[in-house]
Parts: sequence; C-alpha cells; structure tokens
Amino acid sequence: MAPPAQSQRSPSPSQPSGKSEVSDLKLQLRQLAGSRAPGVDDSKRELFKKVISYMTIGIDVSSLFGEIVMCSAASDIVLKKMCYLYVGNYAKVNPDLALLTINFLQRDCKDEDPMIRGLALRSLCSLRVANLVEYLVGPLGSGLKDSNSYVRIVAVMGVLKLYHISASTCIDADFPAVLKHLLLNDPDTQVVANCLSALQEIWSLEATTSEEASRERETLLSKPIVYYLLNRIKEFSEWAQCLVLDLVAKYVPSDSNDIFDIMNLLEDRLQHANGAVVLASTKVFLQLTLSMTDVHQQVYERIKAPLLTLVSSGSPEQSYAVLSHLHLLVIRAPYIFSSDYKHFYCQYNEPSYVKKLKLEMLTAVANESNTYEIVTELCEYAANVDIPIARESIRAVGKIALQQYDVNAIVDRLLQFLEMEKDYVTAEALVLVKDLLRKYPQWSHDCIAVVGNISCKNIQEPKAKAALIWMLGEYSQDMHDAPYILEGLIENWDDEHSAEVRLHLLTAVMKCFFKRPPETQKALGAALAAGLADFHQDVHDRALFYYRLLQYNVTVAERVVNPPKQAVSVFADTQSSEIKDRIFDEFNSLSVVYQKPSYMFTDKEHRGLFEFSDELANLSIGAELADTGVPGHSVEANDKDLLLSNSNSEKEETRGPSNYDAYSAPSYDSSLVSIAASQTQSDLISSSTTVPGNAPHSSFDIDDLLGLAVSVTPSPAPAPSPPLKLNPKAVLDANAFQQKWRQLPISLTQEYSLSPQGVGALTTPQTLLRHMQSHSIHCIASGGQSPNFKFFFFAQKAEESSNFLVECIISTSSSKAQLKIKADDQSASQEFSSFFQSALSKFGLP
Amino acid sequence: MAGAASALFLLDIKGRVLIWRDYRGDVSAVQAERFFTKLIEKEGDPQSQDPVVYDNGVTYMFIQHNNVYLMVASRQNCNAASLLLFLHRVVDVFKHYFEELEEESLRDNFVVVYELLDEIMDFGFPQFTEAKILSEFIKTDAYRMEVTQRPPMAVTNAVSWRSEGIRYKKNEVFLDVVESVNILVNSNGQIIRSDVVGALKMRTYLSGMPECKLGLNDRVLLEAQGRTTKGKAIDLDDTKFHQCVRLARFENDRTISFIPPDGSFDLMTYRLSTQVKPLIWVEAQVERHSRSRIEIMVKARSQFKERSTATNVEIELPVTSDATNPNVRTSMGSAAYAPENDALVWKIKSFPGNKEYMLRAEFTLPSITAEDAAPERKAPIRVKFEIPYFTVSGIQVRYLKIIEKSGYQALPWVRYITMAGEYELRLI
Repeated sequence: MAPPAQSQRSPSPSQPSGKSEVSDLKLQLRQLAGSRAPGVDDSKRELFKKVISYMTIGIDVSSLFGEIVMCSAASDIVLKKMCYLYVGNYAKVNPDLALLTINFLQRDCKDEDPMIRGLALRSLCSLRVANLVEYLVGPLGSGLKDSNSYVRIVAVMGVLKLYHISASTCIDADFPAVLKHLLLNDPDTQVVANCLSALQEIWSLEATTSEEASRERETLLSKPIVYYLLNRIKEFSEWAQCLVLDLVAKYVPSDSNDIFDIMNLLEDRLQHANGAVVLASTKVFLQLTLSMTDVHQQVYERIKAPLLTLVSSGSPEQSYAVLSHLHLLVIRAPYIFSSDYKHFYCQYNEPSYVKKLKLEMLTAVANESNTYEIVTELCEYAANVDIPIARESIRAVGKIALQQYDVNAIVDRLLQFLEMEKDYVTAEALVLVKDLLRKYPQWSHDCIAVVGNISCKNIQEPKAKAALIWMLGEYSQDMHDAPYILEGLIENWDDEHSAEVRLHLLTAVMKCFFKRPPETQKALGAALAAGLADFHQDVHDRALFYYRLLQYNVTVAERVVNPPKQAVSVFADTQSSEIKDRIFDEFNSLSVVYQKPSYMFTDKEHRGLFEFSDELANLSIGAELADTGVPGHSVEANDKDLLLSNSNSEKEETRGPSNYDAYSAPSYDSSLVSIAASQTQSDLISSSTTVPGNAPHSSFDIDDLLGLAVSVTPSPAPAPSPPLKLNPKAVLDANAFQQKWRQLPISLTQEYSLSPQGVGALTTPQTLLRHMQSHSIHCIASGGQSPNFKFFFFAQKAEESSNFLVECIISTSSSKAQLKIKADDQSASQEFSSFFQSALSKFGLP
Repeated sequence: MAGAASALFLLDIKGRVLIWRDYRGDVSAVQAERFFTKLIEKEGDPQSQDPVVYDNGVTYMFIQHNNVYLMVASRQNCNAASLLLFLHRVVDVFKHYFEELEEESLRDNFVVVYELLDEIMDFGFPQFTEAKILSEFIKTDAYRMEVTQRPPMAVTNAVSWRSEGIRYKKNEVFLDVVESVNILVNSNGQIIRSDVVGALKMRTYLSGMPECKLGLNDRVLLEAQGRTTKGKAIDLDDTKFHQCVRLARFENDRTISFIPPDGSFDLMTYRLSTQVKPLIWVEAQVERHSRSRIEIMVKARSQFKERSTATNVEIELPVTSDATNPNVRTSMGSAAYAPENDALVWKIKSFPGNKEYMLRAEFTLPSITAEDAAPERKAPIRVKFEIPYFTVSGIQVRYLKIIEKSGYQALPWVRYITMAGEYELRLI
C-alpha cells in the first residue's frame, strides 16, 4: 500500500525508522512459526498486526515475506486475512516470492470454509503477476461453480482481473461464456451484477479485435437479457441497480409498447432513496423517449420532483452532481424548471461549488415571467456573500440580460452595481455593460452617463479596464472627457501591464481620433509611438498596422476602424450542439460534470467502447426499417422532424430519428461507422474529422439534418447555365429555411425519372449533395438510407435575394425523384425546375 | 460502460495518504497524494473546491468527514453521482465500526479498514455497503473472540438488508417523524422560499423476519378508500423510500409495506413545497448611534398554537467582526457573544406558542476604520429550534402493524418533531 508513499515523507522522529524493528519482528516470527504452544495464535496476530501497520505507514517490510508465509499455515482466519493483505501488497514487487504463496493460496481455495475460499481466491487474482496466471485458471474455474455465492461473487470479478493480466488466458479458458451463463442463471443478484460489469468490460475491449466479441456485446443489449435483468431489478443492490439501468439506457426498444413496459416497470425507481438510482432511471426514461416528443416532455415533468428533492436534501456533493445534470436538462428544455426557480436560490452555508451551479441554473431558467424575481435575488448575492460568488452573480445578471428581450429593469440594476463602489462589482459590471451595449446599442445613452462617472484609477482588472476603454473609444462623441481620459491612460502606457488593455487602448484612441480629431491627435501620436516601441508583439503589430493605414489613406483607415456597426443579435455559443448531444448521450457520468464528452478527458484504453455500439445499433435498426419497406410512412413522419419542429424541440428530436426513421441519421452513421471500424479503436469524432471530402457533413452527424452545420465551402463552381443565374455562395440558415418552407405555397410538384447512372451513383446522400452544389444548389438537410433518400435544397438567384426551396425525395428502387418546389418569386419556378432537373440528370455521368 | 474506480484513498487533513486500496493498479498513491496535497494547499479553503476534479487523465472525487478525506480516483468516465454517494456510504460503514470516522480511529484499525475496503468494492465496482451486513462477516472484536466467520446469509438472501435469525427479548419499534423547515426571507420581510423536508426515521428491535405495514394520512390513499379527508389528509410532493419498501405495492395501492432492516434507518423521506408560515419570526433593527456605538433590537415571535412549545431555540444574529464590549439584555433566555462566528447567539430553552420576546444589544465599534477594509460579508439571521409533538405538514401515522410468523406482539413507539433546517432571514 504505502511503500511508494514513504519516499514522499521525511521520517518523523515519532515513527520507527524501520530497520531494527523489522529485524526484531523477523526474529519473533521465526520463533513462532513452528511453535504449537497454546495462545501462540494470539501472539502471531499481534505481530501480524504490527507488520500490517508498518506496511501502511510506509515502512518496507517486504523482507519478512518468507516468515509471514511460514506462519500463515495456521487455520486462523484472522491471520489468513492479514497474510493475504501482506502478500497482495508485496507480490508485485517480488514475483519470485509470490510463487511461494501460490501454493498455500491454492490450497485455501479448496478450504471448507467458504469465507476462506473466497478470500483466498480474491488474493490469488489480485496478485497481478503475469507469469503466475497459469495457476489462476483452475481455482477460478471451480470458484465460478462454487456452491456458495460469496465465492462466486469473488470469482466473477477474478475473471475480469485475469483478463486484465492476460486476456488470452482468460479467453482461452472460455470464462466469458461461463459468465454469460451465470448472468442469466445465477440465483444471487450480486453474482449477476458482477457478471454484467465483467462482461461489458471484456467484450468492449475484445470488440476491437474480434467480430465475435462485438456481436456478444450487442447481445448484452438484446431484449431477452435486458428484460431478464429488468424483471429482477428489485432484488439487486442499489449499486447493481445503477449498473443495470445504465445498460437499459442503451437498449434500443423495438416499439412503443416496449418503451412503455420498461417505463412502467421502472417508474418506482424514481422513488428510490439512493440518488444514483434516481439519476440512472432518469437517464433511461430520457433516452427511451427521445423519439416520442410528447412523452419526452411528460418525462421531464415526471422527473422534476425527484431531482429537485435530491438537490435540496442529502450531501452537498450529491447536490453538486445532481445540479450538473439539471443544468444539462435545462439547456435542452428551458421551460421545465422555470416555475421552480426558487429551488436554486443559494443558502448562506452552502459550499461555493453548489452555489456556482445554482447561479448557472438561475441564469438558465430565467424567462419573461420570472426574470424580475431571479434578478432581485442575484443582486442580493452581489452585495452580500463571498467575492467569487458575488462576481458570478453579477455575471449571471448580465447573461440573463443578454438572453432577454425586455432588459429595462436589468439595465438599471447593472448601472446600480456601477454605483456600489466596490472594486470587484464595478469591474464585473463594466464588462457586462460593454456586452450589453453591443447587443442593445439603444441603451448607450443611459449607460454612458453612468460609465462616464467612473474613474479609471479605481479599475485595476484588465478585463474591466479593457471594457471601459472600449466604451470610451466607441462612444467618444457622447462622452465629453473621452479624449482626455484616453490621453491620461496613454501617458501611463509603461505602467499598464496587460497587453489586452494596451491593444484596446490603441483601437480606442484611433476611434476617438476619427470622431474628435483635434482633441485626440496628440494622444494618437503618443499611443502609436508607445505602441511601436512596445515589447509585446501583438501590440507592436497593431500599432504599426494603424500607423501604415493612416499613412496610406485616412478615409480607408476610418472605414476600417470605425465602420457602421450592427448590433450583435446572438453571442456565439461556445459549445456546438453536436457536443451537447454527445454529453447528453453520456448522461449520468463525468461528462456532465465536466461539460465535455468523455473522449476529451479519458485515455483511449479507458474509454467505454459502447459509443460505437450505439451507432451500430442505430444503423442496424435503420437498415432494417428500410429493407422492410415502410418508406412512404416514414417520409411523412420525418417531414415533421426535418422541418416543422420549432427550434426548441430540435434538440430533443435529434436522437429520435436515429432510432426509428430510415430517413435520418443512419445514413450518416453508415459512413461514419465504416470509417470508424477501419480505424480500430480510434474515436468516432477524431476519426471523422480526418475524413476527407465529405467530412463536414459526416462529422456533424445528426445535427446536419437540420442543416445547422452545412458548410458553404466555396467550391469553384462552374458557370451556371445561361438563362437562370444562381448565386454559387448562397447562404440560408436552417431556421430561415424552415420558416420559408412553412410560409410559401408549393409552386410546382413534379416527378422525374433518374438515369440508371444517377441511381448507381446515389449510394449515400453526400454524393448528390456535392454534385448539386457544383450547380449552385445547396443542401440544407438530407437523410435516408438506400433505397430511399430525402433532401431539402435551396438556391438563390445571383443578382437578387430570391430563394428557391426544393424538397426532393428519391427512391433508387423505382428510379424516381419527386420534387416539390417553392419559390419567393413564383414566376421563375418553372425555369428553376428545369434547371434543377438538368442538374439532376447530369448526376452520375462521368 | 459504467466505469470503475481505480483506487480508494483515505487521506489526512493535509492530504497525505493514511491508507488506501488499489483496485485496478492504474493510479498510484504517490500520484494521488501529490495532486491532492497541492489541491488543498492551493485552495486553502477546501470547501470552495469542486468535489470532482480532473488532473492528468485521472478524475478524483472526494468528500471530507471530520479530519479525513475520502477520495476515489478513476481513469474512466464513471458515474459521478453514484461514486460520491458511495463515499458517503463508506463513511456510514466506518462510523458503524469505529463510532466515529477520524484519523485516529483509522490509525488504530488498519486491519479492519483493509478488510472493509476489500468487501465494499471489488476491482472498482461497489459491492456491499450495508454496515449491518458487513458486520456479520467482518468483526472488530474477532481478534479476541473465537467466532467462526462465514459469509452472511443475507448475501444470498432475497432480502439483502436483513439477515435471518435475529432475536430480541423485547420486540420494539421506534418511529420518529422528523420534519425540517427550510425558509428564506429577504430583507423586505418577504418569504422567498420555503419548503419542508420530512423523514420517517425508524429504529427496529424485532426478532425474525417481521412484515410491517404503515398507514399514513396520505390524501391519495384516503380518497382511494373513499374516506372523508376534510383537513386531515396531506399531500406529499415527492416521496422516497428505503430499499426495503415494496415500491410496486405503494404505486398500486399506496400501502407502505416492508421487512425492515435491523437497527436504525430512514424508512421514507418526503418534501412539501407548500408555503409555510415561519414558525419563529425574527425582526431586527440596527441603529448606529455614533461612529463607535451600535445598537441592535431584536423581536422574536412564535407563530404557532399555544399548546406547542419550541425548545432549544437558538437565534444567531450577525454582528460586524470588529464589534467589542457587548452589552445585552433579554426578556427571556440568555445571549452570548460568539466572536469566532461574528455573531450574537441568543438561546431560549423553552419558547411557547404565540409569545414574543425581546433582545437589546449594544456594541462598541472601533472609531478608526481601515480605508481599504475588506467588503463586509453580510450573513443572514439564522434560527434553530425544535418543536416536539408537532408537524408542519400534519402528517400522522395512522397505524404501524408488525406481523411475524412466530406471532409475537411488538410495541410501536411513534414520536413527532419539527425542527429548523436551513432557516435564514436576511433582515439585517
């Protein structure tokens, strides 16, 4: 246990230095080894205890190995336990000595006391010495068949341990098959649970090299096994229940009855006292209902109360874990907790990690109806509690302001912060006011009046200072003192340590110069001189750039520095929705706490390989549906998914189609999985980014359906055909497309036969996408699986911003394409239609 | 894959490893210790540190108990909620064995600790965490007594929380209905948040395998039975049960039936989010008479019926940290200045319903204040109290039946108590 730790510590005088005590112990153990005197066991126990505590506090007692083994021949179980402990600790560093112990451990594995059999087997498997594995197979084999469940529990884990020491030995002995048998037949639930853990791990690791193992891993998710485990779930220990539930969450139900059966069965798990079980059930409910929007919403309602209780009762650590999950949920469904916001008010005594998450929750649940209360509460924290939390809460107020339409009240509050005259409050508020002005320039008048009163001297933090300087530059025409304040700052150029501030200062003085040239000219000169002499590369470069720009042409410079600005409508979300979905798939794991998918923080060999299987399962379902031919139906169903869903439900649905509809993710997955499979073990994401050509489409997986990630790569488009000129770089975002599709009437419906070459070339949607793009027709969403594909295209006239929208359903089995065309300019739709068809007819031709 | 833990560490207050169990051999003690000592040194206040931290490929999850940290390390994407909860269970197990979990008790019991660590987790997967069950095969006094140790029956039982063959001379059950009131009042005197968290805490001393049935005045149940529910029934928002309760039956007909574990456990917890009138209301006025003298006047009023009495009332009034020379008068109870908490603590042993008591305190402040004084941390007024024989929710145990096949008569003792949970008034 602690031998390595010893090197860390300086030997303190109170601790025995070791040497003499150890040799003392050695002597005494020798004397006792052969003795059969009464009471000898007691003295042995005392000695062993001493050895163990020496071992624990970091004294190397490995030299006693021989004596310990000699003494442990006794039948006394307490002695045995201590001896196992000792051996387990030193076997790895002393493989030769470990061989000595094999003998007596093997003998103990046949002891009549099941406790000893179990303990001996556990110690045997924990030795982790590669050249001893041959001795493990026999005892493990009989352990798995032992009549006592304790021994079987230990043996099952033993198999997994053996696998990690020597995978081939474990597979050759056919242990996984035995475990599978036990999984389905053992009366003891802990044996079953351990089998499940062991098999999941073994097959996931094996799956990278063996086809059979990946099939076996699939069978773990098959209906018989999942149902068998579900039916027994109440017998399982709370931890094992979590394990089973985690498995069930990955199960792909066959139909909606299946889903409802499982949910009914698990409903009462939400009332389990163990928070981990509640969270695991939540995951099952959410994952199962992804495809059923209505039910999915009901699930949110149902899980709300149990989760809120978990937050307010139990340990702060539990609140922390649960709050992280709530935050994920609230991002996906902001309205669910909007009336329960009071649960996220901070208590005075809570640790700040809980408070921080609660503040995030308050920000996320804020909407028109509760903003006032939430902001009032947040302002309370800004004045009261500890500084990091005060800062966080001011930031929270700002975030709420940026996401709301009605910001009147909030702006007042923020401005009040500025007047509180506490350095950190002012600093945070300044940064926020700056962001706010970028979004709501109409507030500039009110804000500037207050900001103008702030003295630069009181602001030390670079971020805040930069924000203030930005405002000075941007609104220099409204702020009387702006040029002089800037001048003062430039005079102290050398005292300004932050490059960020100096950069902002350069830009601000430039802006100011164009607005009030006579007052700023001197300051500008000083700033440029200081900037050119600056040791920081970026500052130097910017100064030089401005200098040359001014030299070249002052009007151009003004256009560069002071262009008319558009208000920022939405600040960029730092996390892509693809990543968010991935985190949601890994619900109830560390991913949620870290807000990162697992591939970002685990090493390859420690990653759960089930991610692959998810994709595989979806694929197989998708293919199945397509084969059995329900295309017409699913096209209809899918129509909704693709277009009519409003932006709120978009996210919930993203995984849904992948389970059920032939017309969605699976087609992407097919390319993904084949790529992934060819690059064994490499992660989906990392592999897909390396795919050339269609990478932008395939890597964005499901979201691409909604066209969120369609990249308008400026491919060198060949000249479009003469009569109708289309804009090769047309841009239309998915929401706009949806809106238009809903508003416009259908101007043309046509059916069109495809050439056999075209049919042949249409193996995945991507091929057609690229082809159409070369004709300046862009795809916003696509999906499907051979033989049925569905696409939504759009195109834009070259000169005017008149759009054409196309829904195109292609069936390769009948070589037919159905087109629905909608257009802003109805008169041109016929022309566009023929253009579209001619483009389509060229598809597949060399 | 659920993800397994790599190792479990018990660390002292400085973050040094006291004892640890390596389950998977992929995180070393040196690595963990180096990381953790750095972490708590850097932070100073470990309270502010997230309980889940990532470092160099390893996730560390820890909790603190007394002067000991318990920490699991893992290299996989494991289940954070489950492992944190598991650590709390480990604390319970150790408490059961050593009375209290602290550095000294661990140092005195290395061998038992190792044994326990081996049984609660195997190869990183949680196994048995029921202290009662564990204590059947890991005995602390085994070093003197010649007991044969065998794997517990319960391991093989369907009822994993209770073993067979338990005998008591006198069969008794104690049921405590404990409700804690959480309340948050803002500086305008408005209640901005209130809820009640209740628990049915049981201590059973019953022989054999008793079947218990508990009847509550649960509105859903009473209505289902067609009884009148005027004023007597209650709505419980979210109930959670101990694993012994047959949840399927509760879902069906709202009967709470179970075979209890031996000893004490929480049978059920529930939450009520209805608005609660503050049971004890506190009003405070602060007057600054001069730069150096401050006076606080406090009124505390009990807002429940006369027949109930709150006991052990403790009102903690925040006072600025530089206040000195307290001069306090109270109309009831005693008040003491606790400078270590920057608070004045007013204790009232017994506070009957519908009464009002006063406190008046005067402090001297230093006449010179530092220019750049740290911003004041304003604490709320916090109140602690207990009201026996009273529940806010009005929950009642209508019956508690105990049936065992040997047919003994068992005595159920039921007790009600309401106490203050997070009871905060931001009034000063």
